Amino acid sequence: MMTPAGTLLAATDLRKAFGTTKALDGAEFSIHPGEVVAVMGPSGSGKSTLLHCLAGIVPPDSGSITYAGRELTSLNDAERSALRRTEFGFVFQFGQLVPELTCVENVALPLRLTGVKRKEAERTALHWMEQLQVEELVAKRPGEISGGQGQRVAVARALVTAPRVIFADEPTGALDSLNGELVMQLLTEAARSANAAVVLVTHETRVAAYSDREIVVRDGKSRDMERIV
Amino acid sequence: MSRLQVWARDLGMGTRFAFGGGREGWTRTLLTGVGVGLGVALLLISTAIPGALAQRYERGDARSTLNSERADAPGPDTLLIARIGQTYRNKDIEGNMIRAEGPDAPLPPGLKRIPGPGEMALSPALDELLKSSDGALLRERLDARVSEIVGAPGLVGPGELLFYLGSDTLRKNGPEDYRVQRVTGFGHDTDREGLDPVLMLMVVLTFVALLMPVAVFIATAVRFGGERRDRRLAALRLVGADGRMVRRIAAGEALAGSLIGLVLGAGFFAVGRSLVGSFSLQQRSVFPADLDPAPWLAVLVALAVPAAAVAVTLFALRGVVIEPLGVVRTTKPSRRRIWWRLLLPLVGIGLLLPMGGRGNDHGRFNQWQVAGGVVLLLIGVTVLIPWLLERFVAKMSGGPVSWQLAVRRLQVNSGAAARLVNGIAVAVAGAIALQMLFAGVEGEYTKSTGQDPGRAAVAVIVNRDAQTPMDDLAQRIAAVPGVTRAVPLTSAHAAHQVPADEETVQVTIGTCDALGEVATLGSCKEGDAFVVTGSTSRDDVYGATAKPGDELFVGDVRGYGSASASGTTDRPGPAKWKVPADARTVPSREDPTGQLRSGLLVTPSAAPKEIGSFPDARIFVQVDESGPNTLDLARNAVFKADPFVTAMRLRDTKEAAGYSSIRTGLFFGAIAVLVLIGGSLLVSQLEQLRERKRLLSALVAFGTKRSTLSLSVLWQTAVPIVLGLVLAAGAGVGLGAVLMSMAAQPLRIDWASVLGMTAAGAGVVVVVTLLSLPPLLRLMRPDGLRTE
Repeated sequence: MMTPAGTLLAATDLRKAFGTTKALDGAEFSIHPGEVVAVMGPSGSGKSTLLHCLAGIVPPDSGSITYAGRELTSLNDAERSALRRTEFGFVFQFGQLVPELTCVENVALPLRLTGVKRKEAERTALHWMEQLQVEELVAKRPGEISGGQGQRVAVARALVTAPRVIFADEPTGALDSLNGELVMQLLTEAARSANAAVVLVTHETRVAAYSDREIVVRDGKSRDMERIV
Repeated sequence: MSRLQVWARDLGMGTRFAFGGGREGWTRTLLTGVGVGLGVALLLISTAIPGALAQRYERGDARSTLNSERADAPGPDTLLIARIGQTYRNKDIEGNMIRAEGPDAPLPPGLKRIPGPGEMALSPALDELLKSSDGALLRERLDARVSEIVGAPGLVGPGELLFYLGSDTLRKNGPEDYRVQRVTGFGHDTDREGLDPVLMLMVVLTFVALLMPVAVFIATAVRFGGERRDRRLAALRLVGADGRMVRRIAAGEALAGSLIGLVLGAGFFAVGRSLVGSFSLQQRSVFPADLDPAPWLAVLVALAVPAAAVAVTLFALRGVVIEPLGVVRTTKPSRRRIWWRLLLPLVGIGLLLPMGGRGNDHGRFNQWQVAGGVVLLLIGVTVLIPWLLERFVAKMSGGPVSWQLAVRRLQVNSGAAARLVNGIAVAVAGAIALQMLFAGVEGEYTKSTGQDPGRAAVAVIVNRDAQTPMDDLAQRIAAVPGVTRAVPLTSAHAAHQVPADEETVQVTIGTCDALGEVATLGSCKEGDAFVVTGSTSRDDVYGATAKPGDELFVGDVRGYGSASASGTTDRPGPAKWKVPADARTVPSREDPTGQLRSGLLVTPSAAPKEIGSFPDARIFVQVDESGPNTLDLARNAVFKADPFVTAMRLRDTKEAAGYSSIRTGLFFGAIAVLVLIGGSLLVSQLEQLRERKRLLSALVAFGTKRSTLSLSVLWQTAVPIVLGLVLAAGAGVGLGAVLMSMAAQPLRIDWASVLGMTAAGAGVVVVVTLLSLPPLLRLMRPDGLRTE
């Protein structure tokens, strides 16, 4: 497949197997800056593996991933980690907030990892918490807030480094519909205002509705579904 | 349903959960069981040691002739026995020469018959030594035919080196012949003198210091798998279990682990017990059959461990709110209060302080008060650590991300970290205190002998009635390869009147060279005589002296010969002798054994001719110690010449046997406890990491360096450990100071032991952290993010 012009992140012919199980079997992907792309598919179809490969969390067995013109598969672990710290943001369904840190410390954590001073990092974190309407949770710990509030804190954390791509793996999977809607609305609005691309893995069509485009993954193969607006 | 039935139902359900959770459940329960089992085994061994020591004493008493029944004259039921203990390559060998005087002579315990002339009965360990290549030289000394192997009833331990040598020449030369005893039986009831109070204090403390960490360890072991269990309990709440019920179920799970632990502990103990006979520590060994825990203590352990497991679990869950929706939230921890935490060590010190100075002048300690005080002080350390840690980390902020992650985790849950270090802190505090006490009393218990091994490596002590002439024996010793000098000195008694009173005049006979070992002679030639004045530096010189020209009696001056009822020897009566008029007065000099002489020194030609058969003699032997066998060749020569002659190795200091055993026990005990606690630390650490697998993967996903997370784990362990060790060192030094005051010793901090034990504790942490790194790196893999 030819990479479309202006593509920020693209993958071609990705293959990844876990033992004898083929998680990806020639999957393709592309996303533009500021674009929201939903990756859909049934459980076990390979959509999370696709996200992990695109984000440089796991290396594919074969295929190519280019980010801003750089071949991701040729980077070593340290370079990929640095890329994730500075260029990417992440929202997961579970386990992303450090329970011992306060909410503002959680949001500031990615900045601190890049070497930003604590006060400055927390000032930036506070800005994003206001954007995500969770500024009253600054001093609270994750165990003291609701699931919806926790996901909004996680979105703030994903945006705090001004990433160019946000990877969201089932970000509303553990939320009720009302909170899910709120999280998706704030996530997509904030991303678009920051011109960040969003790779959104979900199996819910209601969530996928917030995207500009859908890619369906089935048996490790992907199919691009252009949305007609 | 009664309250008891409810408890039984819920505890039973918990027990089923402990075994019914698949491989993971089994592993967790087994891990708890192994942890508790190790602790139980240590407890059982500790409870068995006093009994084993008592058995050892009883075995020794059963074969003792110290206060056994005696006879004055030979009879059908009398046995002659004389101690002829030997030394071979730093090993002490218990030896007796025996001769039956009648058909009903008593048998020493462990023997089926009395060995005849040219025969000997051996302990199994001595038999093994003699058969080994290492025992080749000893075979030359003990070359009699082996009649039998001494059975267990005749030995104090399986590793004891012992022989009974048969004889047909052994005789008792009158009642004053203290070498040989005529007995009609073995064994006696001894009103055993208790252990020295300071040594008793050390024994009590060694047990307390070793058992306290074991108790802490057991308390930690029953909490293995705690976080996962909490989630399982939340699921039970969802299906209708109430809060109390889930706590009881949790207690049931811990109960199952502790019961497995009891079984495993009994197994570990049985294995250890069966192996104990194969080991000797400083020539002390114990029969497996003697290592039996006191039944009431074993029952106490069997009841206390499961009860403690239930109590610890219920106590640990008091701050956890388990909700039905799978959410387990720790309630906001209430601020830890200091007053009761300080109360424990203060009460402990209050119990110990009145014991101050009791170790002086053979005083006695109240053992229970001492043990209680030490236990409270050490428990005080365990309850102070959580408070100290909480206060310390509460103020912390800033620092790199790894530091922040560690500190925040400690701020949220310092209790878990404190539990991890409690065992080590108690072990270190106890060990420091004991080492301080050891160092303090070392001077008292490591006595200077006054001997000078530089002048003579061996002193051959020939008692009266020796079978071999002195000069002949000295020549035999001098002929041994490696012996460079053998100086004989003979001593006899003279008196101004007969029968002599207590104070006789010692007449020492030897060549000028030999006499120079006991006095500063100036010039000397054969035929000279000297009057010894004693030393100006010491006033412990005993015995009377005489003036030149005095008329003295020599020979049987005490009249032993006329008093001999047995008629075993014919001894000439006392004879007159005149002290040479030209005898010079010279100052005494310590001989190589440290003894100062008084009386008269005479060269052989000036000596009285009728000194009789009562001389004592010594041969001071210098050897070339580069030859590894010289000492034993010399001992062989001595034994062959006369088995009653003692070859004493001279040493400048002598350590009290009890003291060195306790110190060795403490060293191995402390190592065993630290290794045990290190294992528990590792298990707890791995469990915490496993619980955080998903979080670790998420942190790595958004770019956290693995080194950052590894460092955070290190800080998370290091901060409480450093605090714990500082507190432990302080408490150890404090306890050591109190103990030294009890032993009436001046306070002196033994920094080497403080640093040594602290470093050992820190070393355990470093090893545990290093061992937990590989699993940590594995847990940081992206697999943890997979949800499907």
